[in-house]
Amino acid sequence: MFTTPRIIAIALCAALNFAVGSIVYLTKLPIYLDSIGTILCALLIYPDRIAAFVCAFLAAMISTVITTLFINPFLIWFTLTEVAIAFIAAFVVARGDALFRERPLPIVKFVIRVILSGIVLGLVSAIVSAPVVAYVFGGVTGSGSAFLVAFFLKAGQHLMSAVLHSGLTAEPIDKSLQVLLAALLFRSTPKDFIAMVRARPHAAPT
Amino acid sequence: MTPNGAVVFVVIVIAAAMLARVSGLVVLASLCSLFAVTEVGLGAVAALRRAVVLIFPLAIFMIIVWVGVVGRSPAQIAADQPGSRSAALVYVTVISARLFLIVAIVQVAAFRFAALTPLQFIRALYAPLAMKRVAVLTLSLVETLQQAIDRAYTALVASGVITRRFSMRNLLNGWILVQTVWLTAVTSVTGRMRDKWPIEKTLNLLDPLLTLERKSELGERDKIWILSSVVAGCVIIWMDLHGAR
Repeated sequence: MFTTPRIIAIALCAALNFAVGSIVYLTKLPIYLDSIGTILCALLIYPDRIAAFVCAFLAAMISTVITTLFINPFLIWFTLTEVAIAFIAAFVVARGDALFRERPLPIVKFVIRVILSGIVLGLVSAIVSAPVVAYVFGGVTGSGSAFLVAFFLKAGQHLMSAVLHSGLTAEPIDKSLQVLLAALLFRSTPKDFIAMVRARPHAAPT
Repeated sequence: MTPNGAVVFVVIVIAAAMLARVSGLVVLASLCSLFAVTEVGLGAVAALRRAVVLIFPLAIFMIIVWVGVVGRSPAQIAADQPGSRSAALVYVTVISARLFLIVAIVQVAAFRFAALTPLQFIRALYAPLAMKRVAVLTLSLVETLQQAIDRAYTALVASGVITRRFSMRNLLNGWILVQTVWLTAVTSVTGRMRDKWPIEKTLNLLDPLLTLERKSELGERDKIWILSSVVAGCVIIWMDLHGAR
């Protein structure tokens, strides 16, 4: 499963998660953009779904550990969310790999696919993250979405409900944006590199 | 102390910090201070400074949200009580202290092995070879990515797509920078995997380098620190069960 090109892809995607995610975290916008690399990793490896899931999860975990150590100490508690994102990316989002690389780009189909994938990813991540945000951190993490939680709390909602509403408001938009950016990067990736990453490991000579 | 011992110690301290209330955090802070003084010495000051730099803006942000906007602590919200800003402030202080402790112990442990290269540190870890390979190759890409960022940034500034200072153009075209960096990095690693590494037999040389000649064992100091952290964890659980604040 772990061929050298796949390890390289994991490392590059982890770096992408870290770089973009950290910039967005520091701006305190109510979005995250910290899973573009995870989605892209699944797209790069796709036809082998199990490998796509495992590699996407590894990319997410490497970036999560590095970001936790250097930028955002909250992030490591969202490991289960990373598992969910990697799973949906490998089994749902990556099914659009051919469409994302089609030339000329079928804009309507592309946009529908991106938005639907983003909504599914967003709903799943909101539901998986909500208990962590509510019960481990009492509703407020260091990201900009804390303002949304505060807004819903001020509106009289209970903690769990406020966290869930905040997630359901911000996550689908955030994840649609992430799928769009990952799809655009996937579209521009040279086919030589994709072929290297997708090549299965050689069987041992008998 | 060995890297394996440090990893186990840090993981136990982090787990205990997540369970701890105020009294538990005091117990852990004492243990971590002792660890910092005996294992790192003066270098601990730099590690603590890093932790402060990381946590201070976060604490300010949480104060703005909890004390400024919400004005109640989560416990008061859960109990449907009117609540007070002082309770919210106490809550933010405890969360910030917990995060500070976690970040500080990681930084102190990192300083403990500052003399080792990343390759030496990874080699000493008791972990599967595939994981060590992923870690080393990831680290080896750091330089490549830095160069890719430099090249892409210079090219886009020269072509007028982005500017050196903050501008609207940077906001609109920032994505082009990300795309250019990605393509630069992908192109350079493709060349490396296809031509450079097979000729130099880089990967064949890597595996023996990452394999330990003998199974690494925990030293006496490792055992002492791990045992202390386990005891601290048990004390925290005991205090929690007996209603200590």
